[in-house]
Amino acid sequence: MVEQPSKVVEAQQVFADKTESDVIQAAQQGDKRAYKKLYDAHVGRVYALCLRLTGERTMAEDATQEVFIQLWDKLGNFNAQSKFTTWLHSVTSNITISYIRKQKGWFQRTFNIEDSSVMQQSAESSSDTISLDEYVLRLPERARHVFVLHALEGYRHEEIADMLNMAVGSSKAQFHRAKQLLTEWLGNE
Amino acid sequence: MNNEQKRLQYAVDELPRDIQPERDLWQGIELGIERRAVAESQSKSDVVALPKFSQWHYSAAASFVAVVVIAWMGMQQLSAPVGQQSTGVIELAELLTEQHQAQKQQLLVSLQSEQPLTENWQEQLAELDDAAIAIKAALAQDPNNAALLKMLQNVYQQQMSLIERVHSPKWREI
Repeated sequence: MVEQPSKVVEAQQVFADKTESDVIQAAQQGDKRAYKKLYDAHVGRVYALCLRLTGERTMAEDATQEVFIQLWDKLGNFNAQSKFTTWLHSVTSNITISYIRKQKGWFQRTFNIEDSSVMQQSAESSSDTISLDEYVLRLPERARHVFVLHALEGYRHEEIADMLNMAVGSSKAQFHRAKQLLTEWLGNE
Repeated sequence: MNNEQKRLQYAVDELPRDIQPERDLWQGIELGIERRAVAESQSKSDVVALPKFSQWHYSAAASFVAVVVIAWMGMQQLSAPVGQQSTGVIELAELLTEQHQAQKQQLLVSLQSEQPLTENWQEQLAELDDAAIAIKAALAQDPNNAALLKMLQNVYQQQMSLIERVHSPKWREI
């Protein structure tokens, strides 16, 4: 009897989840090799989110490292009732936002520069073959944060307002602004 | 939804879930975890203060070594060709390690007759050894980072104070 493809995919997923839950358990008990496996499996996703939130490669690398350093201590809080990737994205978003806040504080105190003007300037130099990711990185900071958290990560505006310490209305307005800029830039291609 | 919005939604759906960083971030993460563990164990051990002579002895020695290391690194940067700097720093780290191993061995021999206060002190020593290995690996990647040499020295100091503390008859009386 031939196994139906959907059943095979389902079985593979169950096996993968089982394997990952074993790895998570080992890492929770202090096994660094298991933790490295988790890192290898998820660094791409974590880095992608950090890059889209920070808008800058070096800062995204630092934020990714910060996420995995703090995650080592936080891993004990993961109770396997939610999906690991969902929990990981939530931890990554919170740590990265807090990291950006610290870095931005230092940067603005030192150079007293408004980031939005820098972003606006770079958006004007668009070329023909630019992906959405590149446009996202060019969005003004607050609009970018809201866009990434709402459109890509699926957070509600209420949650974003709480995370970014802003009013719910501001979150919606920033999302609208981001959408306007992105459709405009995509339309100019 | 108009055409522009549809285009944006399509572009959002097509975004890659994963983007790989251009450099290996694991080494820094491993080092960061070790540093946090060392900082935690240090803050725990700080609850029991060291004898006054020992604290003075180690801090004086640490300051002296730090001054020598920083001056030496400065001289190296001024005089050595770029390719040779890393070799020199790694040699210095090895020299620090050799000196520390000799002092540690001496201390362990002198305290041989004392019964240790805890059973897991050798595990703690091994954890600090792992931290030293991680720091030396990071130093090989980033040889101009004076903070790493100071960290290495700090880890060695912690090993010495740990050995002294767990074997000290003074603490057994308390």
